[in-house]
Amino acid sequence: MSTDHSDHSDHSDHSVAPLDGLQHFGRFGVDAALLRDALGAALGRGGDWADLFFEHSVSQSLSLRDGAVNSAYSGVTLGVGVRVVRGDQTGYAYTEDLSRPAVLSAARSAALIAEGDARGALPPSWNATPHPARYPVAREWSSVPLERKLPLLRQLNEEAFAADPRMVKVEVSLAHSDAVVFLVESSGATHCDRQPMTRVAMSCTAAEGEGPAARRESNSASFAARAGFEFLTPERLTRLREQAVQRTLFLFDAEIAPIGGEVPVVLAAGAAGILLHEAIGHGMEADFNRKNTSIYSDRLHQRIAPKGVTIVDDGTRVGDRGAVNVDDEGVEGQRTVLVEDGVLRSYMHDRISAQHYGVAPTGNGRRESFHHAPVPRMRSTYMTAGEHDPADIIRSVKRGVYAETFTNGQVNIGPGDFTFYIKTGYLIEDGRLTRPIKDTNIIGNGPEVLERTDMVGADFTFDEGGWTCGKAGQSVPVSLGMPTVRVSKITVGGVGG
Amino acid sequence: MTQLLDQTRRVADLALSLGASEARVSLGRNRGVNLGWRDGRIETLEDHTSQGLSVSLFVDGRFSSHSTGDLRPEALEPFLREAVAMTRLLEPDPARSLPDPARYAGRAAVDLDSVDAGYGDVTAERRRDEARALEELTRDAAAALSAGRGGPAVEVVSVSTGVGDHRGQSARVHTNGFEGEREGTSFYASASLTLKEADGKRPAGGGFTYRAHRGDLRPLEVVAREAAEEAFGKLGAQKLATGKYTTLVKAEAVGRLLGALLAPLSGGALQQRRSLWEGRLETQIASPLLTLRDDPHVPRGLSSSLWDGDGFATAPRPVIEAGVLKTFLIDDYHAKKMSLERGEPVWATGASLHSLQWDLGPLGFDALVADVRDGVMIDSFLGGNSNATTGELSLGCAGRRIRDGRLAEAVTEVNLSGNLKDLWRQLVAVGADSYPEGASNTPSCVFEGVQLSGV
Repeated sequence: MSTDHSDHSDHSDHSVAPLDGLQHFGRFGVDAALLRDALGAALGRGGDWADLFFEHSVSQSLSLRDGAVNSAYSGVTLGVGVRVVRGDQTGYAYTEDLSRPAVLSAARSAALIAEGDARGALPPSWNATPHPARYPVAREWSSVPLERKLPLLRQLNEEAFAADPRMVKVEVSLAHSDAVVFLVESSGATHCDRQPMTRVAMSCTAAEGEGPAARRESNSASFAARAGFEFLTPERLTRLREQAVQRTLFLFDAEIAPIGGEVPVVLAAGAAGILLHEAIGHGMEADFNRKNTSIYSDRLHQRIAPKGVTIVDDGTRVGDRGAVNVDDEGVEGQRTVLVEDGVLRSYMHDRISAQHYGVAPTGNGRRESFHHAPVPRMRSTYMTAGEHDPADIIRSVKRGVYAETFTNGQVNIGPGDFTFYIKTGYLIEDGRLTRPIKDTNIIGNGPEVLERTDMVGADFTFDEGGWTCGKAGQSVPVSLGMPTVRVSKITVGGVGG
Repeated sequence: MTQLLDQTRRVADLALSLGASEARVSLGRNRGVNLGWRDGRIETLEDHTSQGLSVSLFVDGRFSSHSTGDLRPEALEPFLREAVAMTRLLEPDPARSLPDPARYAGRAAVDLDSVDAGYGDVTAERRRDEARALEELTRDAAAALSAGRGGPAVEVVSVSTGVGDHRGQSARVHTNGFEGEREGTSFYASASLTLKEADGKRPAGGGFTYRAHRGDLRPLEVVAREAAEEAFGKLGAQKLATGKYTTLVKAEAVGRLLGALLAPLSGGALQQRRSLWEGRLETQIASPLLTLRDDPHVPRGLSSSLWDGDGFATAPRPVIEAGVLKTFLIDDYHAKKMSLERGEPVWATGASLHSLQWDLGPLGFDALVADVRDGVMIDSFLGGNSNATTGELSLGCAGRRIRDGRLAEAVTEVNLSGNLKDLWRQLVAVGADSYPEGASNTPSCVFEGVQLSGV
């Protein structure tokens, strides 16, 4: 599972011929005249610029519970969002109805953000923009019959039950989607992107003992990527099953951390990137900073972490859940260095914040769907590898916590306070991992914790889990990575002193 | 409305004609406007007209669910045809069928008064004026609080406000006899205030009000004051010394603990053996001070409904009485599933909660603070999680220290931890207050001996 970061980064992007958005959405009645008339209506009251975001997504999921694949879901998302921008003000309207009257009505509603006369003219033609192809799909889900998927889920179920007699319940789910988005800018540029996503997850419940005295534990694991059927390799499915089973059984020996208070915490390589996501990431999304509401608003180009700490938000990792060919406002996905050797170098920008700061947008303008206007969002956020041996990092701690797997986190942007929830880990005593721990929240302050990140391991690991980030009512897929690091002290929410 | 119901019936009939044995169909339409305002002008203006169809199919003992926003007739039929074909390829589940139609009967004859007849009267100018006024009121409240502290004025970094109005219609048809229509309006106003401290931290506070009828919204002055008081209450926050404290959880924050208590009551948690409350019906799971009854028929309640997700007619019912668990929240499917697994009937109790009614105590918030005397008041939670299978919980939180019966310094980066089995037994006082937003109607609650971690 451990991978070196450079093995996965895409340093050889190749552009492909742009998809034909008009052809795709033509089947729903969209034509060049509608694009022109809708953008004309959108700018009819003097907006600076406007865009149309068409989306057509087909999704399917299968669920195995109680030994049978006996539940499925399919969904179609179809609609358009119209955005009008004037300065840093945004008018937005959306509709599922792609008929001409409905789209024009939405455009006129979005136009209300401006109060004046139409300015300028639309360009004479549309210019389809090429973008990198970072979501290679070897086998389209549409070519995979249901009968081919069902045995994979059944096999995982059988293997989980065979793995340990304590297993009492197993759930397996497989979800995949294929979206086509078509962005049309009033500048004349158009962008069409096809966005696959696959997620496979497994949950286990095991029991020790019988009757009312039985003790039960549950845990889960998941993998996700922008990929097709080829993502479900036997090796990956075996790891999924092993992780779900082992993480569940681990809990029988574990207890909530016997520590309440500030101690050193060692974050295991991989999913501990959730610390970056919460402690650093959200606070560096530029919308909060241009509004001056982030704790990092005054910190650009200042040292905010020890030397040796470099943090990146990256949309270029091929096949990654957080990969972005082109963001949801037409900017190519990029690798953005947020913190370089301890110094805050850049926020994550959408077009509006980039204009505010007088910099180029970074390709972070993302949205959940056409129901929302884009805002700055993370993609794949990780810390690059340092030089310490992970074993040395653990050995350096007299008494503390080793945090290995996580379920969720949250941040308050203004004060910078954040949390993440440790599902499994260990107590560290005299430099060794000793008692297993579980279900323990960690709470800290982002800038303070960054300053206390005093050892960075050489073992960068990318986490393949299916992480989803929520902000302003929008959920987007993201990913995480981290080498082993030591935070010299942070509050552990266990029991005891 | 009849047109929507007719359309829903036609989709249900189509599903049957394409081979479904039974179908459950919901069709909804929504219209809404949201205006976001920040520091003196409109920041976002959002307008939507939305539609959506949800279909659950029961085909030869097999089950699937589907949704689409593409309601063109030429798209709908192939969508459903493919859905039926897909369902046939799944494995059978004998527990999957529509509920016994007898459970649909007995719908209460109550007017839920869910539509504000004045919905269409809200104009763009009115929204803008309200958002502007709310900003001014929030700044006024902040200025008053700043002046009351003495010393240099506290820096206000930003004030954001929002107003919005929505109208939704939906219709639902089960092919074995259930039909229902709903229509509702909703309105909200919100304010958020961000301050700046000398160390660069920017504590923020928020207030909001959300109602089915515009005239029921709390006054903008109250929303503004809530936002300002919350932000100012966080100034100068310090870390708390780790220990066990008598902990007063403010009414607006109690919902986080209540949600953790109630989530394991669901049919899904029970059937999947992930509920710490399994086997605990009619037993003491909380302090005798905790009594919760659900009333699904509160007029103008945003969660009020005459039927639940299964189409069962809803009725008031006890959930917890004097700490004794009176019901699980089991939907029809999981009841059938557990009945088959156990070889004995498991009753579908209904999965929905609508408006919780508490047995309130005698003391208001200020009196509770005085009564606690030495402890911690928590007014917000941040992240964390709870384990529904075992009950462990560990939550980030913030609030104020209580010293000598008064609110003292702000505390932050605090973590509350323990086990749900113990925490709700440690409840020693229920307030006379009740959080006026949302459907949980939570009062402030005092828990004794709570582990709080800090430094």
